[in-house]
Amino acid sequence: MQTAQLKVSHQKHRVRCNVDHREILVRSVSKSWSKIAPFWPLQNLIAVNPLAGFEDLPFRDALKFGIAYFQQADLPNGMQIVNLHSIKWLQAYFDQGQSTIRMPKQNDSFMQSILALLPFDDKVISAADKNLAWLQSLPTEPIQIISNCLNFLKIPDTEYEQFLTLMLTTLYGWSSYVTYIMKWSDQEHSGNKYAIIEYEYLAIRLVLTCMLWPQARDVLSWHYNALKKTESIKIFNKIQVAENDYLGELLSKLKSRIHNFRVESLKAQLVFCIDVRSEPFRRAIENQNGYQTFGFAGFFGLPIRIDNKINGESYASCPVLLKPAHNITNLPFCSGKDPYNGYSIIKLFKQSYRSLKYSFTTPFALVEMLGVFNGFWMALKSLFPWIAALSKKFMLKLLSQEYALKPIKDSISLDQQAHYALSALRMMGLINNFSDIVVFVGHGSTTENNAYATSLDCGACGGRHGASNAQLLADILNDSNVRHIIKSQGINIPETTYFLGAEHNTTTDLVELYDHDAPDVFKNKILHIKQDLEKARQENCWGRAKKLGINTTKKQALTKIFMRSLDWAQVRPEWGLAKNASFIIGPRYLTQHCDLDGRSFLHSYDWHIDHDKTILTTILTAPVIVAQWINSQYMFSTLDNVAYGGGSKITKNITGKIAIMQGNASDLMTGLPLQSVHSSDDNSYHEVVRLTVVVYAPKSYVESIISQHIKLQNLFRNEWLKLICIEPATKDFYCLERNFEWSRV
Amino acid sequence: MLSQYIYLDALSVTMIILICFITGVVGAFAVRYLQGDRKQYQFYFLLSALLVCIVLLVSVDNLLLFLLCWGLSNYLLVRLMLHKNLWLAAKNSAQLASKNFMLSFIGIAAAFGFLYLATNELSIQAILQSNLKDSLLLPASILLLFAAMAQSALWPFHTWLLSSLNSPTPVSAVMHAGLVNGGGFLLARFAPLYKDHPSLLAFIVIVGLVTAILGNLWKLIQNDVKRMLACSTMGQMGFMLLQCGLGLFSAAIAHLCLHGLFKSYLFLASGSAAKDKNIDRVYTPRMTNVILAPILGIISAYSFAFFSNKIPLENNTNLILVLVSYIGGTQLALNILSSELRSRFVLALIASVAMCSIYGAVVNVFQSNLSYLNMPQKINAIHILSMLVLFMFWLISIFYTNLQQLMPLKKYIAKAYVSMLNASQPDPKTITAHRYLYNY
Repeated sequence: MQTAQLKVSHQKHRVRCNVDHREILVRSVSKSWSKIAPFWPLQNLIAVNPLAGFEDLPFRDALKFGIAYFQQADLPNGMQIVNLHSIKWLQAYFDQGQSTIRMPKQNDSFMQSILALLPFDDKVISAADKNLAWLQSLPTEPIQIISNCLNFLKIPDTEYEQFLTLMLTTLYGWSSYVTYIMKWSDQEHSGNKYAIIEYEYLAIRLVLTCMLWPQARDVLSWHYNALKKTESIKIFNKIQVAENDYLGELLSKLKSRIHNFRVESLKAQLVFCIDVRSEPFRRAIENQNGYQTFGFAGFFGLPIRIDNKINGESYASCPVLLKPAHNITNLPFCSGKDPYNGYSIIKLFKQSYRSLKYSFTTPFALVEMLGVFNGFWMALKSLFPWIAALSKKFMLKLLSQEYALKPIKDSISLDQQAHYALSALRMMGLINNFSDIVVFVGHGSTTENNAYATSLDCGACGGRHGASNAQLLADILNDSNVRHIIKSQGINIPETTYFLGAEHNTTTDLVELYDHDAPDVFKNKILHIKQDLEKARQENCWGRAKKLGINTTKKQALTKIFMRSLDWAQVRPEWGLAKNASFIIGPRYLTQHCDLDGRSFLHSYDWHIDHDKTILTTILTAPVIVAQWINSQYMFSTLDNVAYGGGSKITKNITGKIAIMQGNASDLMTGLPLQSVHSSDDNSYHEVVRLTVVVYAPKSYVESIISQHIKLQNLFRNEWLKLICIEPATKDFYCLERNFEWSRV
Repeated sequence: MLSQYIYLDALSVTMIILICFITGVVGAFAVRYLQGDRKQYQFYFLLSALLVCIVLLVSVDNLLLFLLCWGLSNYLLVRLMLHKNLWLAAKNSAQLASKNFMLSFIGIAAAFGFLYLATNELSIQAILQSNLKDSLLLPASILLLFAAMAQSALWPFHTWLLSSLNSPTPVSAVMHAGLVNGGGFLLARFAPLYKDHPSLLAFIVIVGLVTAILGNLWKLIQNDVKRMLACSTMGQMGFMLLQCGLGLFSAAIAHLCLHGLFKSYLFLASGSAAKDKNIDRVYTPRMTNVILAPILGIISAYSFAFFSNKIPLENNTNLILVLVSYIGGTQLALNILSSELRSRFVLALIASVAMCSIYGAVVNVFQSNLSYLNMPQKINAIHILSMLVLFMFWLISIFYTNLQQLMPLKKYIAKAYVSMLNASQPDPKTITAHRYLYNY
């Protein structure tokens, strides 16, 4: 009787223990993943802070952990062997279309698929005698596998979190990619495959570790030793010196020029993306007289997904912080030849080529057939890139007519359209004094043979080109019904005002206006604007040429810059957002006459119309956050291009069509390549400084917003961002201290 | 005086044109590509030296000079591979390659020793024109074949090639069109040694075939672009040697040159790999396709034979080339016929005939210029076997179902996949298993 009771209570105890144990495990798993920043694949490289997992720590401490985790010259040999096999399997499973014969069971979940194949992996199985039996005795649930493995490796439960974290950080690139899949990717098409990837990934890492390196507990002492030896004060001080230099310069520029003024006889108003590359171009077009410019997030406030009807592509065209709310169809804007037919012919060509290349025996015939042509084409592309580009364009034109795409706004209800239009206009501070032509300018880049191409595109559009969003907002605002609703809200757009979408090509500085269906009355004006844009282009290219170190004259700068966009050998087609350092929120007259050197994000903002502070709240919690990601990415890629960047482009190797490895195989190289932040192997171009946010608004505005947002409090308290407030009444400058006190600067 | 050490024939001239062209183009590419690189000038120095060495290599007519140029150019290639010399994995790659090149060097040195003993001549042409009956010539031929296999990454000497991707892209581009082909050139240069040794030729066919199959298969499972290209080169090298084994040395040289151009281009363009999408092949199982495609294949095989000046069903090894053209033509036709275009029938006919005509014409240019290297053999069992193998693998690759959708997974397929995956991995030491060990 008693023994029976004892047994029952014992069992209860065990059950409770198991529950506790499970809880500890679950918590440790989720905590370990919280250290890992996501990594977006090459198809839309979104900038992220590689130390995003350490943002809850003061910047200086985060630097220290960064060194201890990611900048260690050594790693225990056993861990390297585990990495070797992890890389092999990860490459195979996450391949998005490089291999022709896919990994068997690739459609299953990560763990199921790898565990199905692992018993046949002699290299792993033969590492120890009992491996195969052990592997086959594993439980089926990932969390149980994790638990078993931790037991096997004799990790005490107090060290679970630390050990699991190390399992992730020692192969940081791949863990980052899994974080992206887990938290950010669009999983609509993948079914349930990734539902518990965080457990499955760790389970596989641990299973491999148990078989290949049973003494893996040593990695803990490796880490603690590293942590003990680490010091970040030197780097921190260096960064601070650079920041103070920059800030002094910026403030003196800003202080000298605060006065409101009016542009006489406006030719047009242009709204650019906040991107730092817009700033010099805005200056250049303003210099042509008669232009007023604004800065606004390049997705123009439209949370949309674009469906391209011709090639079947579909992608979110809004910041990754937002979920697209509308599906917009892009239709060709053309008459005459059928673009669908043209596309399918081109597709057939590519498909035929691929089918001969990726098949058996046929490649032997293919190389003989195409060898001469490829040799010729390679010579043309290397020696005369422009001729190659022209002939390619010509050939494509022969096959299918060139067409412009136009987004169709019908899937958004009229009220919604008016709502988006209204809030966009208010946010950019364009609510009266409309000129006859208002142009929304999205942006994108064109580069050749560049794996990192999307890192140069519009971050606000999810790493894509921004033309569709610009066109769509213009189209909405040209609708008389929309204007009618807006008018009832107090914004009166004159009948004589016409909105246009456009795209600024940041590589060539060409601004393409989408004026295909503009009424005839505006044609002349538009023509005039085009001419001025061309002049601005010339001016900006000249400035950029100097920064790119091109030896040229003002006349030739444009051509030389243009050539870079066509050149398949070019590793620095443009500087992207390199040198970014500040984010200025305020009216354009605050900055209009200073040369900010392309280092500032500019967001238009008029505090007068922001009584409930919603506009400033949005700016501080969305674009500023995105800018902080960008700034951190550039900063860390420059600080240590091996640990946080992509390494040199010249030895890169694209795996699975998703990411870069170095050479034969390596961890995924997250972050920007050396050539994006360095002017040469030994000299950096980007400057390592944290982002300074400058707000032209009453201090009380800023205070109340920060007090309501923990995320912002964290970033400012931990010094990931600096903030300067310009009090409009007195034009005094205040700096926000770590304790949220203001000090005059 | 100097002329007695130089022998310029169509083979040397072909190789000189190829190597100058590739080096020139890749050099021009590298002007921008290596901008800002610490060792850009060293790269140019080494590349120029390599060019000179290879030009000499293909035109000297002296065993010692040949050996010297061979060793020197391989040394220079290793130095080029070591461009990022602070990177441990790159160092290991270079080391692995140099070990392999050492093998080929020793093979050639020993072979040359035998040749000299047999003929007492140092001039290559003199040796080849002498009475090739000496018993010492067989070991020489075997050693040369061994050297060629090591140099051209034939199985089982392939690992160095699959581990060579720690080199900068332009170096890979030059290498895959250059010294990797050394084996093919070597066999072509000494082709007369092999002409009357059917068993040696059969051995070459088998080695070539095995490598062609392995390289081709491995290529299809690779998950990164550069290793895919390296496996593909391995397969193409196999095919090149296969042609040598068939006695079609001129066709092998054609393949060497054309593959070199093709592969160089693909390496330089490898930065675009993420952009071009994988368009899955879908063959609609329409009855008309299954009947029509092989017929179009036969028509295109005839056009290949016509343009390459061959008799379609001749009883010699040229037949294998006709078969390859037939397979290519059929595949292309099948692909176009499966589309929904209204003009697909006409298009399929034009495309497959055009493809095989070009193929034939190009082969013909080489064969007529290098006719002295043309030694087609009578068809034997080995030849029939290799034709069957090439054909069967092609058939399977058309009708294979996607492995990832196989339900349930067959054990032998899982086993085959994993062993291919493991076999095609680079040497572990040349993989950067700890990110911070990478160094630019």
